[in-house]
Amino acid sequence: MESIIKTLSDAIYFNLIREQRYVLFISGLGISLQLTLYSALLGTLIGLFLALAKLGRVKWLEGLVTAYVDIIRGTPAVVQLVLIYYAILGSSSLPKIAVASIAFGLNSGAYVCELIRAGIMAVDKGQMEAARSLGFSYARSMIYIIIPQAIKNILPALGNEFIVLLKETAIAGYIALDDLTRAGDIVRGRTFDAYTPFILVAIIYLLITSILTRLMGGLERRLHASD
Amino acid sequence: MPVIEVVDLHKSFGELRVLKGLNTRINKQEVVCVIGASGSGKSTFLRCLNLLEEPTAGEIYIEGIPLMEHRKDINRLRQRVGMVFQLFNLFPHMTVLDNITLAPMKLKGMTKSKAEEKARDLLDKVGLPDKNNEYPNRLSGGQKQRVAIARALAMDPQIMLFDEPTSSLDPEMVGEVLNVMKDLAKEGMTMVVVTHEMGFAKEVGDRIMFMDEGIIFEEGSPQELFNSPQRDRTKEFLGKVL
Ligand SMILES: Nc1ncnc2c1ncn2[C@@H]1O[C@H](COP(=O)(O)OP(=O)(O)OP(=O)(O)O)[C@@H](O)[C@H]1O
Ligand SMILES: [Mg+2]
Repeated sequence: MESIIKTLSDAIYFNLIREQRYVLFISGLGISLQLTLYSALLGTLIGLFLALAKLGRVKWLEGLVTAYVDIIRGTPAVVQLVLIYYAILGSSSLPKIAVASIAFGLNSGAYVCELIRAGIMAVDKGQMEAARSLGFSYARSMIYIIIPQAIKNILPALGNEFIVLLKETAIAGYIALDDLTRAGDIVRGRTFDAYTPFILVAIIYLLITSILTRLMGGLERRLHASD
Repeated sequence: MPVIEVVDLHKSFGELRVLKGLNTRINKQEVVCVIGASGSGKSTFLRCLNLLEEPTAGEIYIEGIPLMEHRKDINRLRQRVGMVFQLFNLFPHMTVLDNITLAPMKLKGMTKSKAEEKARDLLDKVGLPDKNNEYPNRLSGGQKQRVAIARALAMDPQIMLFDEPTSSLDPEMVGEVLNVMKDLAKEGMTMVVVTHEMGFAKEVGDRIMFMDEGIIFEEGSPQELFNSPQRDRTKEFLGKVL
């Protein structure tokens, strides 16, 4: 028993305390959270824009959006990240976190587009007919009747998307961005301990996603107050 | 001049020809009940009257205005034609009062207090004076449909279209909705009612239209159509439903 505690406290000491290694984890977490936040905002904007383009009933625009969504969903995020990194880095001096935010934002936008579309299409089509029969235009029917109902479908899914996004950003290390996962990697390189740093990393991710999941649950309950 | 005039109305869904040259005129204050077998195009006909369904060919005049020609004014023209659906289609994210006041406020620029006053009057009229702040999900089917009627009336339509307004109701709630419709008919509303309620059609209808083969197959006063139908298909249909 004593020896287990000893091993454990040694592991934590070497991987977390010594040489102030916790600083690496904390700043890594900071990068991961920032990256998630920026990508989520950008992704939501892009997704909203794409969804509107697709709902706008302009054939060629719709085709373009479909192609975009297919490409993003049909290729690995790591590959997209690296390609965008080299494409943008070649022509500008943006900080890495901005480049990564753009890459993840472009990626997330495709998924958000589909979430929004699904959320809108899940609204009973009788709602649009009732609105139109009263004399509302298509656009005003969307604004007053369809979108407020669609939001109830979309927000929980959007929350999930951001939780997924947080975990997806773990590949940011591929472009040498020092996020949480890469912090674990760096510490492992110094302590030659294959397990502890990544167990710590896993615990931190789990904590954050649990908190976000809780928050989403609360939001969802409030959204459904009227049913 | 008839309030509604339908000239050679055709409607196809792809290969399926549903309406094949339908003609009729409906006069002011007339109550027309449309009957016919399932799939005979009753809903399609009704939905063409406010262009919820785009006719393939033909013309529809509402108070003399040709709808197909004035497609770009359709939102304004629809304000004159109220519609009540089988499945109510109330807006679930709004209270009963907001369901009723939304269109008059947004489309006619009515003030909130005016619109609410009007909504209360209408709720009284349909027998739901105390449901203002309820959400639709808390109402029974019959109550929902009466709110839906009030919502349509709030726009002061010249014509009301009903598509099987009682078909999804429990039997004990059919009466309360039909009574509201009867009152409306007595006040002189022009109404087109697709219905399976033959009792209502007989009592309230000025004219019964039997639809078959994509046209108005036979029509007449309730006495004429129910008591002495002229054509075999009509007799056969009535034999099944009466
Ligand atoms: N949007 C649509 N797309 C394709 N086919 C349709 C569409 N709407 C109606 N139809 C078809 O047109 C025909 C007539 O339909 P309609 O709903 O007008 O019949 P109905 O007389 O109202 O029947 P019911 O008594 O069952 O309501 C049916 O065969 C139906 O399947
Ligand atoms: Mg029908």
